Amino acid sequence: MLELQGLTRRFGAVTALDGLSFSVPSGRVVGFLGPNGAGKTTTMRAVFGLTDLDAGSVRWNDAPIGQAERRRFGYMPEERGLYPGMLVGEQLDYLGRLHGMDAATTVTAARRWLERLGVAGRARDKVESLSHGNQQRVQLAAALVHDPELLVLDEPLAGLDPTGIDAIGEVLVEQAHAGRGVLFSSHQLDLVEDLCEEVVIIDRGRLVAAGSVDELATSGPRRLVVRVDGDRQGRWARGLAGVEVSEVAGGVVRLVLDESVDTQALLRAAMEAGPVLEFGMERRKLSEVFREALE
Amino acid sequence: MKWALVAVAVAAVVALRVWGHRRRRRGTEPPGSPSAGRLTLGGSVGLVAAREVRERLRGRVFRVGTLLILLVVAGAIVIPVITRGAQGPEKVGVVGALSAGRREAVRAVGKQAGVVVHVVSEPSLADAEGALRSGRISLCIDGSRLLVDKASSVSDTYVEDLADELGVARAYVRAGLSSAQESELARARPLDVVSLQPSARNTVRTTSIIGVILIFVMLTQYLTWTLMGVMEEKSSRVVEVLLATVRPLQLLTGKVLGIGLVAMGQAVLVVAFALVLAKAVGSSLLHGTAPVELVSVLVWLVLGYAFYCWVYAAAGSTVERQDQVQTLALPLSLPMILGYVMALTTASSGSPSPFFEVLAYLPITAPFAMPILVGLSRVAWWEFVASALISVAATAAVARLAAGIYRRAILRTGSRVRLRDMMARHG
Repeated sequence: MLELQGLTRRFGAVTALDGLSFSVPSGRVVGFLGPNGAGKTTTMRAVFGLTDLDAGSVRWNDAPIGQAERRRFGYMPEERGLYPGMLVGEQLDYLGRLHGMDAATTVTAARRWLERLGVAGRARDKVESLSHGNQQRVQLAAALVHDPELLVLDEPLAGLDPTGIDAIGEVLVEQAHAGRGVLFSSHQLDLVEDLCEEVVIIDRGRLVAAGSVDELATSGPRRLVVRVDGDRQGRWARGLAGVEVSEVAGGVVRLVLDESVDTQALLRAAMEAGPVLEFGMERRKLSEVFREALE
Repeated sequence: MKWALVAVAVAAVVALRVWGHRRRRRGTEPPGSPSAGRLTLGGSVGLVAAREVRERLRGRVFRVGTLLILLVVAGAIVIPVITRGAQGPEKVGVVGALSAGRREAVRAVGKQAGVVVHVVSEPSLADAEGALRSGRISLCIDGSRLLVDKASSVSDTYVEDLADELGVARAYVRAGLSSAQESELARARPLDVVSLQPSARNTVRTTSIIGVILIFVMLTQYLTWTLMGVMEEKSSRVVEVLLATVRPLQLLTGKVLGIGLVAMGQAVLVVAFALVLAKAVGSSLLHGTAPVELVSVLVWLVLGYAFYCWVYAAAGSTVERQDQVQTLALPLSLPMILGYVMALTTASSGSPSPFFEVLAYLPITAPFAMPILVGLSRVAWWEFVASALISVAATAAVARLAAGIYRRAILRTGSRVRLRDMMARHG
C-alpha cells in the first residue's frame, strides 16, 4: 500500500500541497480528482521524489520510500514522457533495462505490452510519427514494461477516442485485479466512476473527499425520484415536513429528504395524489459529489 | 568508421559494467531487492551512455557531419598531391647561346623554388614568343630579358629569383671575371646568424594549429549536443520518467560520457584517417606531424570537453525551448572563442604574450592555448602536467556545481530558471 502523509509543498507564496494525506491500497484502482491547479501532478511527482517536500512523507508497505522502491513503480507523466525521435521498441527496452530488467526479459515484455495495447506493428517507428492516442498507448506500455507493483498515471485517458479509453481502462482494471495499486488522475468523471473503486478528491492541495465510489454516491442527504400520473409539478410533495423539491423536469420530481422522513409514508402520500409510475432512491453521480466537495 | 566508434563505445560500456560489478561485490547493494545488482552507478550510467552513443551514431547529423569532415580532410591531403603530380616540369626556352654554368644555375634556382626546370633552345625570338603564347614553354631567356606570356603563368618566386641570378651573372661578365671566379661567387652562401638570446620568434608546428581548429570545431559541435540533449529531455518530460528510476547525477554522467565517447571516437577516426591517407598518397602535408603535438591535442580535446560538458549540461537544464537555448549559446561560447582566437593569433605571430601564457593555465582557455605552447616548444613537461591537473581539479568542482544546478532545474518547467533560484535550497 502507498501512503502519503501530510505532504506539504510551497512554491514561493503558492502552497501547492497543504498537509495532504491519503493512501492507495494494492489491488485497487484509485481515481485522483481535483480542479486544475489542485496539486494532483505535484502529488504524483512527490511519489517519485521529483519534487522536494517542505513536510510530510511517502511510504510504501509501512516503510519510507527510496530509489529501490520507486524502481518497482510505473509512472506516466501528464504529457509526453518519451523521446520523440527514438524508436518505440528501443524506448521500452531502454526503460525496462533502467528498471533493472535483463535484456531478454525486457524485449519479451515490451513486445507483449505493445501487442496487448494494440500497437505491436509500431515497434520500429519513431514515437513522434505516432498519433496522439498511439503515443499514449506506448507511454502506458513504458510504465508497465517492468511489471510494476504500483502504477501512477497522470491523465492517462486525456484526449483518447472511445477505443483507446476502453483499451487503457481495461488494462488498469486488470492490473488492479492482479494485485497492483493503480492511482490515476482524470477530469473525465464518468470514466472514473466506471473504472475506479475508490476516489480521492483534492482542492488547493488539501483532501476534500475520499472513499469508495459507492460510499460517496450514497453519502449525504437521500434523494428520491418520483413520477405521479396527473401531478407533473409534484404539488403533492410540497409542504411535507423534511421534504425539499430540488428539481421538476418532464413530470419527474426530484426530492431531497431529511433523515427523519419515512419513505413509506412518502409513498403513501404520492399514491393518494394519483397512480405512481416511478418511485426510487437515486445515487449521486460522481460529478455531483465532485461539485459538492469543491463548494 | 562506424565500427571504430562502436568499438570505443563497447569498450567503455564494458569498463563501466566491470566497475559496477566490482562495486556490487563490495556489498554496496542492498541484498534481496528484485533489481539488486543493477542499481549501481555503473549499470545505470552505462545504460544511459550506451543510449546516447547509439542514438548519436544513428543520427543523420552525425553521419553527414563525419562524412563532411572526412571529405574536407581527404581534400586537404589529396588535392595538393594531385595538382603537384599534374604540374609537369617547367620548360625554359633560350634564344641564342647559354653557357653550361648558366644552364646549371637556371636549374638550381628552379630547385630552390620547388620547380623542376627543363632548358630548351629556341631558334629565334619569334619562335620563342610563339612557344610562350601556345604554352609550350613558360619562360624564355633572351639575352638581357626574361620573357613570360603573362606575369602569373609561372611561379613568381622562380621568375624573380631567376631574374636576380641572371642579372648578377651579367654583372660578373661585365666586370671581366674569369669563369672560375664566377663559379666561386655563384657558390656564395649567407653567413649563419647566431643569437645570444633564444629566438623570440618560432614556427609553430602545423599539427598544433590544425589540432586547435579541430578542438574548437568538435567542442562546439559536441557541447551543443549536450546542451540540446538536456533541453530536449526536459521539454519532452522524458526526464521525469528517467529520474523516477535513476539519480540526476547518474543521468547527467551517462549523458556527457556517451556524447564524449562519440566525440573522442570521431576525433580518433579523423586523425587516423588523415595519417593513413597522407601516408598512402605520399602527402607532405603531415610531414610536420609530431607525436608530442598530436597527443597534446587529443589530451586537451578530452580535458576541454570534460570541463565544458558540465557547464553546458547545467545550462541546458535551465531551459526548455529552442529560443531560450539561443540566448544561452553565445555567452557560453565566449570563453572558448577567446581562447581559440588568441591561440590562432599567437600561432601566426609565433611569440606568445605573458597574457597568453596565463590563458594556458586557465581551464576555460587552456584547451586552445596549451597545444599552441606545445607546438612552439615553449612549455616543459611539468608545466603541461600542472595545467592538466588544474583543469582536472576545476572539472571536479564544476561537475559538482553543475550536478546541483541540474538536479534543481531539470524538473522546473515554465519560464527559464534563473541562476539565483538555483543557488537557493529548493528547486
